[in-house]
Amino acid sequence: MAITSIKNLKEFSTNNDRFEGAHTLCPGCAHSMIVRELMNCTDDNLVISANTGCLEVSTAVYPFTSWDTSWIHIGFENAATSVTAAQVMHSVRKKKGTLKDNDAPVKFVAFGGDGSTFDIGFQWLSGAMERGHDFTYICLDNENYANTGGQRSSATPIGATTSTAQAGTHSYGKKEKKKDIVAIMAAHGAPYVAQLAPNKWKSMAKGFQKALETEGPCFINTVSPCCTEWKFDPKDTIGITDLATDSLMFPIYEIIDGHELNILYRPKNLLKVEDYLGAQGRYKHLFKPENKHVIEKIQSDIDKNWEMLQRREEARI
Amino acid sequence: MQDLKLKANENRGLHQLESGKDLYGWDEVTQGSVLPSFEGDASKIAHLKAEERDYSNYNSYTATVASWRVKKPVFNIDVCIDCQNCWVWCPDSSILSRDKQMLGIDYDHCKGCEVCVEVCPTNPKSLLMFGENEDLETALSQWPEKKKKEK
Amino acid sequence: MAVKYDLNEREVWDGNFAASQALRQAQVDVVVAYPITPSTPIVENYGSYVANGYIDGEFVMVESEHAAMSGCIGASAAGGRVSTATSSQGFALMAEVLYQASGMRLPIVLNVVNRALASPLNVRGDHADMYLGRDSGWIQMGAFNAQEAYDLALCAFKIAENHDVRLPVMVHQDGFITSHTAQNVYPMTDEAAINFVGEIDPVDDMLDFSRPVTYGAQTEEDWHFEHKAKQHKALMDSRPIIDEVYEEFAKLTGRKYNRVESYNMEDAEVVIVGLGTTVETARVAAEQLREEEGIKAGVVAIRCFRPFPFEDVRDALEGAKAVAVTDRSSPGGAMGAFFNEVSAALYTTESRPLVTNFIYGLGGRDFSIDEAKRIFKEQKAHADAGHITTDIQQFSGLRGPHLGYFQTKRG
Repeated sequence: MAITSIKNLKEFSTNNDRFEGAHTLCPGCAHSMIVRELMNCTDDNLVISANTGCLEVSTAVYPFTSWDTSWIHIGFENAATSVTAAQVMHSVRKKKGTLKDNDAPVKFVAFGGDGSTFDIGFQWLSGAMERGHDFTYICLDNENYANTGGQRSSATPIGATTSTAQAGTHSYGKKEKKKDIVAIMAAHGAPYVAQLAPNKWKSMAKGFQKALETEGPCFINTVSPCCTEWKFDPKDTIGITDLATDSLMFPIYEIIDGHELNILYRPKNLLKVEDYLGAQGRYKHLFKPENKHVIEKIQSDIDKNWEMLQRREEARI
Repeated sequence: MQDLKLKANENRGLHQLESGKDLYGWDEVTQGSVLPSFEGDASKIAHLKAEERDYSNYNSYTATVASWRVKKPVFNIDVCIDCQNCWVWCPDSSILSRDKQMLGIDYDHCKGCEVCVEVCPTNPKSLLMFGENEDLETALSQWPEKKKKEK
Repeated sequence: MAVKYDLNEREVWDGNFAASQALRQAQVDVVVAYPITPSTPIVENYGSYVANGYIDGEFVMVESEHAAMSGCIGASAAGGRVSTATSSQGFALMAEVLYQASGMRLPIVLNVVNRALASPLNVRGDHADMYLGRDSGWIQMGAFNAQEAYDLALCAFKIAENHDVRLPVMVHQDGFITSHTAQNVYPMTDEAAINFVGEIDPVDDMLDFSRPVTYGAQTEEDWHFEHKAKQHKALMDSRPIIDEVYEEFAKLTGRKYNRVESYNMEDAEVVIVGLGTTVETARVAAEQLREEEGIKAGVVAIRCFRPFPFEDVRDALEGAKAVAVTDRSSPGGAMGAFFNEVSAALYTTESRPLVTNFIYGLGGRDFSIDEAKRIFKEQKAHADAGHITTDIQQFSGLRGPHLGYFQTKRG
């Protein structure tokens, strides 16, 4: 694979964007930061698919496309299926010699939001992972159905208010914990699974390159702060991501071959989760006295998860 | 002097996203609503800079979202250290970097989100927000001095 | 290079095997499939051809029919020849993506082995699934026996991939009656078959990196209507191309197909209009009635359900006095859909024959020669009276009291 240099940002910046502006994602949206970085990680040709979601409805609105590579969207749930079938067709046509350029290097990538990845497209994703196709699936996890106005998904954390899990006089918002998609994908025996964040651009670029280079199905969950539904100022997207990674709400780690866990980022100054929650409107209600127990619960879940990740890293299991 | 039209293809930002006049009939829409991104051979596209590419009119590169902005980031080349933070985190592919140097902002595609200003590490910042109608010279003349570190 | 598959001039194949042989001979690159009775053997057989080297392709067994058609779309957009098979509930699960395949103008061939839709669950043949696809923008062709399931599958690739068509095609056969009944089939040689079908020449190929393309753009109120209109026109314009392909096929095999098939229609006064295996039953009944009772009975069969042959069906039926249109699908609170379409065509004729609607054969209920004869005789009674003498819609072959609706205002 023709990977591009990520030694430092200056080197990285010599890449030519293949994701164009004048898409209609919200100002400050992290989705496009992540997509740009993926596309800048390699010089190879890309076949990209997308599930329905913010990314899809904002980047291919007739008569404009923001994609400089082959791209396909079918439905809410099937990006993993369409791109892996295209990959199978590629292998057949390569064998038969019917490709326009039989030697052109190509990588197959699927994007989905957390709604399509954790919920409606879960079966399609699981099927594609199980079949072992050579592709990379990237979840843009903004923890809600942002495209349809901010409904809960199974990626929404406990305590967040969403339009379908509302905080109110009798409710502190979503009651259920976030689904551990990384563990589930690792349990498929995938050769490379990771959770990455755009503020740590280098570890994200490295992770993307590893996934693209690794033969077989790879899965990456990326935190994608959503200024519109998380309710923060668009300029703070990277700042909020810093709070997410430094409070360990979003730990950055990879799991190789389903068992070898490596923590990729250890915050020097570990922040309390209040700092992260307090910066977003969706958690505002948690700071009322009657909801204090929810913050305590979130912090204790984070602590336990971090402990578990460290133990797994140590134990190599 | 910073050139605002720099590093652009002739068709950059040509179209409004929502414009009645570009609509055409059923006999002229593309088959299967498929959109080709380029005219001509695009095999080497990863190795071509935007200004070297032959974008089709279906590429959003040829469209503009300038009207979304109320404030715009202004770039001060004299303060910039070319760290490329703004380039890597710009969500709208609007930081024009060439050969490791930050050259300016693509105002056809910038939505004014201010992320670039926020992630700029210089002191004073090399990117600051100004009113959409502020001209470059006036903006640069109002640039703040280096701030002393608070103790 | 694929291993040679030995074929006899005459084979004894069921409809499923016949269809799978067409996939092998058309050298389908990728089959993405999920099994469902009664269509399963089609994709199983393709898988066995791959496993034994009879074809240089890939068989991808996915986790649902929705994924099967999604995969077919991805593979087809990637420029190769693609096919799959399904039935009933699987067809229903695919429904969302059927519209995407046609909207994207992808030349996928779907072998549909017709089966009833639950509830109540039923694995036998009726046309509920075929009807579910009728607005999906696919070309829909019907085979009445195993030979036709084979022939039409080969024709389907040639039609779908024609650059002036570029639409997906369904080839329908009746569950079990055709799919599981071994019959004589005369296959083409492998060479003749692939020469007839030809190589696929991809359009908007996702794997042509000199020309990156975006599939599946969103179109709102300012563009959607234009795209759907263009797609409808492509479907309507496919009619002469389908005729050409049938013509070319006839030259090679002597088997001539028509978008509307007419049997004993030269002087027919009473007619059954049908789809699928019903046609063969009705033909036998018509012959027998002509011999036994001198009733001028004829049969009109729709080979090409979509694009609907409005003009051809009208031309075929214009001279008839009474016409029974048979719907093998539960009408769900309306006249049968097929009845409505044939009636609409006949309404624009001077003669306006008397048209009645029979709902029959649901869930694989046998449609017998006697039943067909009874329907012909009822048509004869209408013709003699000069008006419809029964309910316009009747359930036929149903146990229990008579079930029928609406009476004519004519005569």
